[in-house]
Amino acid sequence: MRALDALARRTLVARPLRTILTIAGIALGVGVLVAALVLNAGLDATAERSVRDQLGRTDLRVAAFEERGLSAASLGALATTPGVAIVAPELERRTYPVAGPGSGAGLPVPVTLVGIDPAADAALHDRPLAAGSPLPLAGGDVALVSDALARADGLAVGGTITLNGSAASGPRAFRISGVLAAVPGDPDPAGRSVIVPLGAAQSLVGTDSVSRADVGLAPGGDVTAVIASLERRLTSEPYTLSTPGDLIAALRASTADFRATIALVAALALFGGAFLIFNTLAMTVAERARDIGLLRAAGMTRRQVTVLVLISAVHLAVAGVVLGLAAGIGLAALVTALFTPGGGVLGIRELVIPPAGLVLGAILGFGVTIAAALEPALRASRISPVAALTARLEQTAVLRARLRWLTLVFAVVGVAGLALWPGAGEGSAGLARPLAVYGMLLGVTLVSPFLVGPLGTLVGALARPFLPVEERLTRSTLVRDPSRTALTVGALSVALAVLVALGGVAATTRRAATAWLTDVIPGEAVLTSIRPVALDEPQLADLAAVPGVARISPIGRFAVSVGGRRLDAAAVVGADLLADGRLVLSEGDRAGALPALDAGGAAILPAAVADRLGIPLGGSLQVLAGREIVALRVVGIAARTIPGSSGEAVLVGWRDATQRLGVLGADVFAVRYAPGQAAPATAALAPVARAMALEPASLEALAGTIGASVDRLFALLTALAAVALIVAGLGIVNTLTMNVLERVRELGFLRAAGLTRRQARRLVMLEAAVLGAVAAIIGVGAGVLAGVILAALGAGPGVTYDPGWGSIVLALVGGVGLAVVASAWPATLAARLEIVRAVQYE
Amino acid sequence: MPPILEARDVTRRYRVGSGDVDAVRGVSLTVDAGEFVAFMGPSGSGKSTLLHLLGGLDRPTSGDVVLDGELVSRLSDDAATRLRREKTGFVFQFFNLIPLLSVWENVALPFTIAGEDARHGEPADAVRAALASVDLDGKERHRPDQLSAGEQQRVALARALVRHPALLLADEPTGNLDFSTGTEILDRLWSSCHEGGQTVVLVTHDAKAAAYADRVYVMHDGSLRDEIRLGRREDHGAGQLIARLADLGL
Ligand SMILES: Nc1ncnc2c1ncn2[C@@H]1O[C@H](COP(=O)(O)OP(=O)(O)O)[C@@H](O)[C@H]1O
Ligand SMILES: [Mg+2]
Repeated sequence: MRALDALARRTLVARPLRTILTIAGIALGVGVLVAALVLNAGLDATAERSVRDQLGRTDLRVAAFEERGLSAASLGALATTPGVAIVAPELERRTYPVAGPGSGAGLPVPVTLVGIDPAADAALHDRPLAAGSPLPLAGGDVALVSDALARADGLAVGGTITLNGSAASGPRAFRISGVLAAVPGDPDPAGRSVIVPLGAAQSLVGTDSVSRADVGLAPGGDVTAVIASLERRLTSEPYTLSTPGDLIAALRASTADFRATIALVAALALFGGAFLIFNTLAMTVAERARDIGLLRAAGMTRRQVTVLVLISAVHLAVAGVVLGLAAGIGLAALVTALFTPGGGVLGIRELVIPPAGLVLGAILGFGVTIAAALEPALRASRISPVAALTARLEQTAVLRARLRWLTLVFAVVGVAGLALWPGAGEGSAGLARPLAVYGMLLGVTLVSPFLVGPLGTLVGALARPFLPVEERLTRSTLVRDPSRTALTVGALSVALAVLVALGGVAATTRRAATAWLTDVIPGEAVLTSIRPVALDEPQLADLAAVPGVARISPIGRFAVSVGGRRLDAAAVVGADLLADGRLVLSEGDRAGALPALDAGGAAILPAAVADRLGIPLGGSLQVLAGREIVALRVVGIAARTIPGSSGEAVLVGWRDATQRLGVLGADVFAVRYAPGQAAPATAALAPVARAMALEPASLEALAGTIGASVDRLFALLTALAAVALIVAGLGIVNTLTMNVLERVRELGFLRAAGLTRRQARRLVMLEAAVLGAVAAIIGVGAGVLAGVILAALGAGPGVTYDPGWGSIVLALVGGVGLAVVASAWPATLAARLEIVRAVQYE
Repeated sequence: MPPILEARDVTRRYRVGSGDVDAVRGVSLTVDAGEFVAFMGPSGSGKSTLLHLLGGLDRPTSGDVVLDGELVSRLSDDAATRLRREKTGFVFQFFNLIPLLSVWENVALPFTIAGEDARHGEPADAVRAALASVDLDGKERHRPDQLSAGEQQRVALARALVRHPALLLADEPTGNLDFSTGTEILDRLWSSCHEGGQTVVLVTHDAKAAAYADRVYVMHDGSLRDEIRLGRREDHGAGQLIARLADLGL
């Protein structure tokens, strides 16, 4: 055993480049896998921490459903509920600060105003200060400002901040008593929050209600019991209850897509890594067939030969796994750093290294390597001493068998890897995607040997007019051994396929986001407001009167409670949607349904909501409004509706919204310009809108951060694919170099027979270019196919696949370019070849 | 008639470790067009090195080699390569066939390298004729590993002959073959010279092979030790050569 180990080490050291490449392959697979697992853990931890940041020691959050909020009566009922120890009410509103004299024209940046009861709040929330002192228990016009706001607006302890309030109260100045330390979980999207005593906040915005109340239970209090008694006691307004556990689960669910994508990338990396390992080990055995034959002749048993190859594999696996674990943690740290500043749904705020993940990565890395080594090991043991000594190995048959084995290894790795994935059992849809793509890549690997011959001939034909001699020599060698060519191009085509698939999915996702909005918004631009704008405000007419503006359609987004669950809803003008040709109904008659919304008593449901609630067309949607239940007839079901804060909105008419559901006004105005007038009208509209505190925004802004986070996510994935591409490039250098070394005698003869140095160089480079082009063609084909599968499994219906032409061109050019660059060194070897040595010795 | 090959005080020095080894030292000779010349000598005496120098595969450390009027030892690598392509054909001890290519494609390689398509027309006829001349018709589609050693060497010979180069250079072409297959190769080389008018330079350590030559150089330690003139004979009997070698004490 020890002697075999020494021999195994020797063979690894003798071929440093190949050894390093195999280790790199293992490390890549393990690294991406571990990074994915670390990111998963990070997402989980972040969900928990975000909730903790928001809720502090709160056991239960009671939130108002309507803009009118929770009344004092409700708060009183809450406080007297048995088991409740602390009730910390909060009022949250967006408002504008009054711009200082130095600031420029235009609207100032809005802030989020939070009114709190300092005493109760302190029991549940930590609000660490960077400077100054906390709010006085007595209240008054005192404020704490967030660190970001203080920096941006030049505020300091002792200064003042003046905030706009309701029309009745007018602006009001607050003395700044403290600056909050910069901690995550600021309620304002830009971190611009102002905390003031509840009373001051209420009188500023002109209300006596609150947005929510955080509840702390008495020691030994039971959440379920409290919830049950609240249902009996809190009857004046609709409300929602959430526990920290609920919120964590919801946050985790919102990252499901991201996790599925991470799993997909991990699967692909594992596939690429396994391919590289298998390829190099198989080649090593084929190349050393002679040595092995000699060892067999000298008395080594079949078993010893198998063990010899497996020992080499263990050495490679140890090095690869160790490197991979380190690289994976590094990669995860990088991604975490990249995603932290943005926060939001995809925010990952801390690096959590799950020991189980490291173990899983190590086991899979070892498993894949040993599995990949098994076939070469068995094959090596079957080399007969005689065959090796007479150098008559049937290479082609060997490679065929290899390809069959490769299939098995991949199938096992794929299924095992995905089955072990944390949470794989929960969401079968998330798992379907990686599995589908994995299977497809496997298919491509299997059919590619049949494709490389014809493709190589085809691509070579392009080079024929320029390099006739080299082309003819290249064609004969490439086409003659398609299995080998397929193995050579395999890693590259897989990497390119991943690149193209990701590009296509990114483009399609982006297209879906835009297509969705153009389909449902009756306008080409929108104006947004941070406060509800009542439809009878006189200035609205000014907007519509701007020359070039054809129509202004108000949209009010709010939430309703249906069967105890929160649903996004939007008030729309049905006639505008009808006239503008928006909204595609999958069920119901558009011409009847849209006017029915305006008439009242009707709603249009997004297909997803209709499915979930099991309400058919013509059915009734029971919405809790105040103390009573409003029944809305379902007059239509739409594939897609206006996006709300956490899903698609139920559409209702303005009459119902304002008169029965408590909506105060619109927060979005869709603007349709007269044909050809968009540019001048946009300019003319801007000042009018600003005067009403309306901000022009693009349609995509309505869908929230979808666009931005998609871009960031795919930029990251593309970077990972690029890493795979680099490893594939190294793989090509390896195989091309091996090609040259194996063919030293051939090249020597060709040189002796009159092939010039330049021709020898071009021969190798042309070979590489043809291989690269073949890999690119196969990779692009496979990538488009994979993208179509992913998009079909992910995107909604009716979205056509956008192949992402940029990534296709990149893959074609990059594939050929990479191969040619990779061939530089082997081509130099070929050109520098000493003919005399090459032809002389065996 | 001008000589087709001329070596002028040719030395090839190799640096081995810290010392120098002269594989060929101070060799001067001429070979006339149409001659059959053999180099004999023990292993390591510099025969192969000299053959490589004469064929323009290698460059002398000092001295000059003139191939068909061109100072091949002073040409650029490209020019020397083109000269080889046009004037020479090599046969090696280890056949050096390309394993992936068929017999036909291996033989057609010199045309391929010269940029001619050997699937049609005159080149195709030449390939067919070359294969026929080594009795390999019918094996065009075989791959080298499906042939016996003798057949493989005949493929290599056909490849060297296919473009009728003026100079054929063969390094131990029979070294890996048994007696009767070796004889077939030598017979074919002799007829190229005798009937085809090509010049043949043969390196061998075997007197029976060297006996095909008109002239035999005996090498020792990198130098030409003796020259034995046999003249052109139809029978190739080695008796006379062996006797002359014995006279020289070899
Ligand atoms: N590339 C080389 N480097 C160093 N020494 C060499 C090299 N090639 C040949 N030699 C030496 O030159 C001498 C002649 O070699 P060679 O011409 O192959 O002899 P022969 O063909 O007569 O057997 C030998 O001693 C050999 O070791
Ligand atoms: Mg020799």
